[in-house]
Amino acid sequence: MNTGAALPRHALWWLIGCQFYVILPHLTRVPLWVLAIYLGAALWRLQMHRERVLMPPRWLRLLLGLAAGGAVIASYQTLIGLDPMVALLLVASALKLIESVRAKDGYVLVSLGFFIMTTQFLYNQELPVALYSVVGTLLLVVSLIALNQRPSASISRREPLLALRMLGLAIPMMIVLFLLFPRIAPLWSVPSKNTQARTGMSGVLRPGDVTRLGRSAEVAFRVQFEDQIPPQRELYWRGMVLNQFADGAWRTLGWSDHPATERKLDKPIAVGDSLKYRIIIEPTMSHWLYAMPYAQSPTAGVFEAWDFRLAVRKPLESTFAYDVVTWPESSLQPELSPWRRETELALPGNLNPLTREWVERQVNAVGNGPELIARVLSYFREQPFYYTLQPPKIDDDDFVDQFIFQSLRGFCEHYAYSFVVMMRMAGIPARIIGGYQGGELNTLNNTLIVRQFDAHAWAEVWLDDQGWVRVDPTAAVAPERVEQGLEEALRGQEGFLADSLLSAYRFRGVSMVNWLRLRYDAAAWQWQSFIVGFNGDEQVELLESWFGEIKVSWFVAVLLGSWAVVLAPLIWWMNRSRSSSERLLVEEQFAALCRALARRGIERAVGESAISLLVRAESELPAGDPQLITLRRLIVELYTPINSSVE
Amino acid sequence: MGIRERLNRITLRWLSRRLPPARSITLEQRRLFIFPTGAGFLFILTLFIMLLTAINYQNNMTYGLTFWLAMLFIVAVHYTHGNLMGLTITAVSAEPVFPGQQSGFTFRLKAGGKRSGHYTVYLEWPDAQQVVDVSVGQDTTITLYQTVAGRGWFHPPRLRIESVYPLGLLRCWSYAQLDVQALVYPKPLRASDTPLPRNDDGVGGVSDMRGLDDLAGFRAYRAGDSPRHIDWRALARGQTLQTRLYSVPSSEEHWLDWEDFDTGSVEQRLSWLCWRALRLDASGDKFGLRLPGKEIPQSSGDRHREQVLRELSLYGITGHSGEVVS
Repeated sequence: MNTGAALPRHALWWLIGCQFYVILPHLTRVPLWVLAIYLGAALWRLQMHRERVLMPPRWLRLLLGLAAGGAVIASYQTLIGLDPMVALLLVASALKLIESVRAKDGYVLVSLGFFIMTTQFLYNQELPVALYSVVGTLLLVVSLIALNQRPSASISRREPLLALRMLGLAIPMMIVLFLLFPRIAPLWSVPSKNTQARTGMSGVLRPGDVTRLGRSAEVAFRVQFEDQIPPQRELYWRGMVLNQFADGAWRTLGWSDHPATERKLDKPIAVGDSLKYRIIIEPTMSHWLYAMPYAQSPTAGVFEAWDFRLAVRKPLESTFAYDVVTWPESSLQPELSPWRRETELALPGNLNPLTREWVERQVNAVGNGPELIARVLSYFREQPFYYTLQPPKIDDDDFVDQFIFQSLRGFCEHYAYSFVVMMRMAGIPARIIGGYQGGELNTLNNTLIVRQFDAHAWAEVWLDDQGWVRVDPTAAVAPERVEQGLEEALRGQEGFLADSLLSAYRFRGVSMVNWLRLRYDAAAWQWQSFIVGFNGDEQVELLESWFGEIKVSWFVAVLLGSWAVVLAPLIWWMNRSRSSSERLLVEEQFAALCRALARRGIERAVGESAISLLVRAESELPAGDPQLITLRRLIVELYTPINSSVE
Repeated sequence: MGIRERLNRITLRWLSRRLPPARSITLEQRRLFIFPTGAGFLFILTLFIMLLTAINYQNNMTYGLTFWLAMLFIVAVHYTHGNLMGLTITAVSAEPVFPGQQSGFTFRLKAGGKRSGHYTVYLEWPDAQQVVDVSVGQDTTITLYQTVAGRGWFHPPRLRIESVYPLGLLRCWSYAQLDVQALVYPKPLRASDTPLPRNDDGVGGVSDMRGLDDLAGFRAYRAGDSPRHIDWRALARGQTLQTRLYSVPSSEEHWLDWEDFDTGSVEQRLSWLCWRALRLDASGDKFGLRLPGKEIPQSSGDRHREQVLRELSLYGITGHSGEVVS
């Protein structure tokens, strides 16, 4: 019917607005020229609307499309992967705008809009994105309505209100479907995201790496404890295990770096009380998860690695939720294999001669046991070491010599680095652990918010009978760092949160802002824990808690039954405005009126004309009688001769 | 008879049983049909791709949006349906015309219900289309044109009423076989060899005050007054039943007589008479019409012309009552 109809004027405005709205959040990831293409296309389309320019001919549109595709390939070097695909989708939808002159093109743009919004979810499922997308959906539905208005109709409040009502009515059934739709395993493997790693810990640590994280207030992960939250100084979120030093950097050993016999984990024995908590971690683009040792996770897909870390098989590309049980008193690896001992003692060549000399002196004095560790820590405590986010840069190969005898200014990784080197020199197996320490407590929902600036590096040393023991040399220098957090430790210094100028965290001194911030974070936790954590297992668990054991027949019955429960009121609600008397045909109304008149003694004789009935009624009823007036109106509607005009 | 033709005939029979003709039709449940549009299928395809994305990326927000939009589609079924439901279409008038001309059929649209109107409603015949918004409490009148064929009653094809409002994803439609017909006059033809009509002098028809030209006044309705003279406009306003009176100017008088012609077929004779009637009317002269078994007294004016043309149009057509009012 109207497939060839032109795109209505104000539908064009809605579509351009919607497109801009859905593209906007992608701009943090795609190259800026994509935005330029979109703006160019929108401008061109508007000029077409003003009849200043014509639609580019077919060959030119084809050329533009090919050029844009080429540009995507050129800037990503590939077309495989989610990022170039999204960029291609954005460019295609921008170019589609130029040739959208018919109403049916409008539907293509709306469909593309919904799909672009979906791709945003693949990167981020946080609360703000959800809210943003609800508004986006509303705008796209308004565009659909605008496409279907009469060309001359004007923009009014009606369309947004109608869209709102329709979307509102769809919500109850959406919830039913969301909860009941079976969650099945991926049907095929999908292109992965190749975005550069986000801020966060990586598998390589150079002096200065953790320092940089101190500048960011981004959330790394959130933790919700089942019971009591342990004191701040016990909250060591262990992540990277950095065992190998080479070329000025500490690296983590991968699976293939281990000989076959070392790849298996010898499980520690669970001892003492356990802590239970759930972590929702933001995408890290790596395999490693954070937890307090010794940790086990019942979550599907999480495994324990050879060095007691938790890990997942695929790099974390989206927010992930996992449950953890920690036994803090369990000892890690009470028996050390020769290969492991050798690896954790290895140091390259003859670096740091001054330190080596100093360590040898101490070993001669107290041996290489716990007393030596105490000695080194008291050295850190007693010398004028200074804990700072802005340490002087040390390029020397003899980093430790420079640091502990000359500059004395450093951040946690400087202390951990020096400490581990000193331990290895003394013959104590030691390694650097990278992770997070502390976190902000949100008392509103008993969660802990761990941010990038909570990133921390400490050491683990292996002691006879005790296995791997945590030692934090930073705590010796700046005890307030582990007691109260980074901000307290850096009071009066610059550099903290330097990259997060507008973060609400900066304004938490204002109590109203702070309350809102924590309130919001509690809501964000709720959202994430539901939307990210809801999987097949959770679904079965939830449904079983409602309906008992699930059978297929039950499932179908519940699905259909809930639809009936939700749909029936909906249909009633939508039809309630069409009252029954309004739906009566004029003929039926006339017949009803005749029956009413008959009761008043004016009966219509068989074969009597309506006009004759009216004549009698006029003589018998008072002039203003409402039934008389209705009778006149109905007779006009029913019996006006076709060729007579009533108007 | 080909299968297609037979199917068509069966469909038409079924439709006319399901949707019998009437002067006024209110669209209700059983009259409405609904099916996704091309855009609707595109939307369903998009949802399917989104569902695959949700499954393959195990992404709950994509699941959520997919289900939300799927349910929006269901809601749209009811809204699209509701957009036509309750709409009343009444045939108001049909213009009498000459063969080959377009007759304008006027329809009045009335919104059902008290809350929402009917938006972007298309009314169409195979070669005519109109789009209207019908708001609550505000009747809308539209005129659709249809080219007519030969003399007699012209019955327009079934009217298709359709709408894809509000989302354009579904098309809801209905057919209305409205009981409306347009009068088609005979084709006026000049007959060169026909004699001029006899001049009928003497008895004038002036005594009959029911001339049809200039409105002279009103009086209360009396039994037997023609419904044509009822003041419908006043009646529609709820006033009492009245008959209009007309005055008649006098001039020359003629008779148009079937018997004037001794050659020609029925249609030819009617065409000649028609041409003559138009000529006489244009000159303002009084004229009467004599057809076998029928006589219209001499008179003049628009109403008279129409009456004469009407008799000519319907000559020999069975079932012609001449009046619509029962």
